Amino acid sequence: MNAVARSLWLAGSLGVAAGFVAVWHAVSAAGLVSPVFLPPPAAVGRALVNGFTNGDMLANLAATVARVFGGWLLASLLGIVLGVIIGISSRARIYVAPSLEAIRPLPVSALVPIFIGLLGFTEQMVLAVIAFGALWPTLLSTVHGFGAVEPRLYEVCRSLRLGRWEVIRKIALPSAMPDILAGMRVGLTVSLILVVVAEILGSREGVGYSILLAQRSYQAADIFAGIFLLGCVGYASAGLINIAEKRLIYWRR
Amino acid sequence: MQALPPAVTFPAAAPAAAGKPVIRFIEVGLSYGQRRILEGIDLDIWRGEFVSIVGPSGCGKTTLLRLIAGLARKDEGQVFYNGADVREPSPDVAVVFQDYSKALLPWRTASGNVALALEAMNVPRKEWADRIGSLLDLMGLFKDRDKLPGQMSGGMQQRLQIARCLAQEPKVLLMDEPFGALDAITRQSLQDEVLRIVAERKVTAFFVTHDLEEAIYLGDRVVGMAANPGRIAKSFVVDLPKPRDQLTTREHPRFLAMRHDLFSFIKHG
Ligand SMILES: Nc1ncnc2c1ncn2[C@@H]1O[C@H](COP(=O)(O)OP(=O)(O)OP(=O)(O)O)[C@@H](O)[C@H]1O
Ligand SMILES: [Mg+2]
Repeated sequence: MNAVARSLWLAGSLGVAAGFVAVWHAVSAAGLVSPVFLPPPAAVGRALVNGFTNGDMLANLAATVARVFGGWLLASLLGIVLGVIIGISSRARIYVAPSLEAIRPLPVSALVPIFIGLLGFTEQMVLAVIAFGALWPTLLSTVHGFGAVEPRLYEVCRSLRLGRWEVIRKIALPSAMPDILAGMRVGLTVSLILVVVAEILGSREGVGYSILLAQRSYQAADIFAGIFLLGCVGYASAGLINIAEKRLIYWRR
Repeated sequence: MQALPPAVTFPAAAPAAAGKPVIRFIEVGLSYGQRRILEGIDLDIWRGEFVSIVGPSGCGKTTLLRLIAGLARKDEGQVFYNGADVREPSPDVAVVFQDYSKALLPWRTASGNVALALEAMNVPRKEWADRIGSLLDLMGLFKDRDKLPGQMSGGMQQRLQIARCLAQEPKVLLMDEPFGALDAITRQSLQDEVLRIVAERKVTAFFVTHDLEEAIYLGDRVVGMAANPGRIAKSFVVDLPKPRDQLTTREHPRFLAMRHDLFSFIKHG
């Protein structure tokens, strides 16, 4: 993208965002929806500013961000390692993949009570919930990526007598990288969902918890402020993945 | 009008070479399930020899090549490399695959792809730059050393694959229809490059092709296979003067006679 196209895109997408806010404002101002459920944008803005200056929004945001990324990194690491172990052997792939596919669609949020029972209302519980839930997309996509490595490349490796670890590191992992990153992107979305669930069900801190408190005291503007912050975290993390993709799979245009 | 059979006869045996063959097939047979792929293959290939393999599609040419490479298993008989049973790939033997775009690492530059062979051979890192540079130079790719395979033409990619094979410093070069997907001009220039390199480095070459003229042009010997089951049905020495030349060799009366003979063999068995 050149500079002109870039500024056009920026102006355009900002315009669309502004349009959304305008519609929201209009709906709210016209009284179409009660402000108890849909506060006007300005009120949400005030709630945000107030939360950061007078409240503990910053601490909540920091806690949530740390959990999302901690849990997601843990999940990604586990997912890649387990995915490599399963994916490297075509036999393991064939036998294990169906079970994985069966476990994947289970909603991990339903397992939160079990994690609370095992680990209590602790930080480890929140991390474990996120890590367990965000593990599957990365694990499955790593297994899939390893299965999709060009067989000819494995023959090149055999003919060059490369060792197993070298084949994984130099051939299979780079080749599976597009799949792995796609899995990690989904894992990040799952992490964001689960952090809120875990914070609402079993924590005394975080944006999810602040939303719960706001809901209990009918502070709709505070709820929306929390949702807005979660959206920002999601947007920023998607941007990080985009950068990682550009750097790691530069060879795929 | 009926085509007359060729008047010339060709020597059927390998050149009388001293010592042991580099590659030796003894009564090799192979089946995939119920299907008989190769049967009774006896073939000796001598040091420095350039052997071209031709035959109808599916007759087992690639399978034969893979047996030498240690990439396929036989059911009967023996395959020897330098007198030892071939059980696994040898560092002395390099394979140029037909599908160059699948045989290169798309995430590595030209230099990086050549480096793969050096990594596999545990060549000290300080020697890499020199060796990669001279190999890419040899294959006319030096200025493209930082390009990714996806940014290169088919001919350049195949040159790159050959450069990677040469980085192994192989004694035997196995090539499976390496120029089959290239245009005529590129193919001819690569033919001459391969002939030059193989002669300079005294490499033994095993060259599978569908192009009968290419087989004669390149070969010291042409081996013709028949199908179902795959077997060797013809073998003749190419006694054309060297170095070969795209114009004079292809116009040589012996070339034309051999070409005639080979075409009728492929057509009528
Ligand atoms: N892994 C395999 N499993 C089953 N059959 C196979 C396998 N590999 C090759 N074949 C069969 O063996 C026969 C010989 O195959 P091969 O690839 O050696 O033929 P080829 O002479 O190289 O043909 P082409 O000129 O088309 O490349 C073919 O009929 C093919 O279908
Ligand atoms: Mg073949």
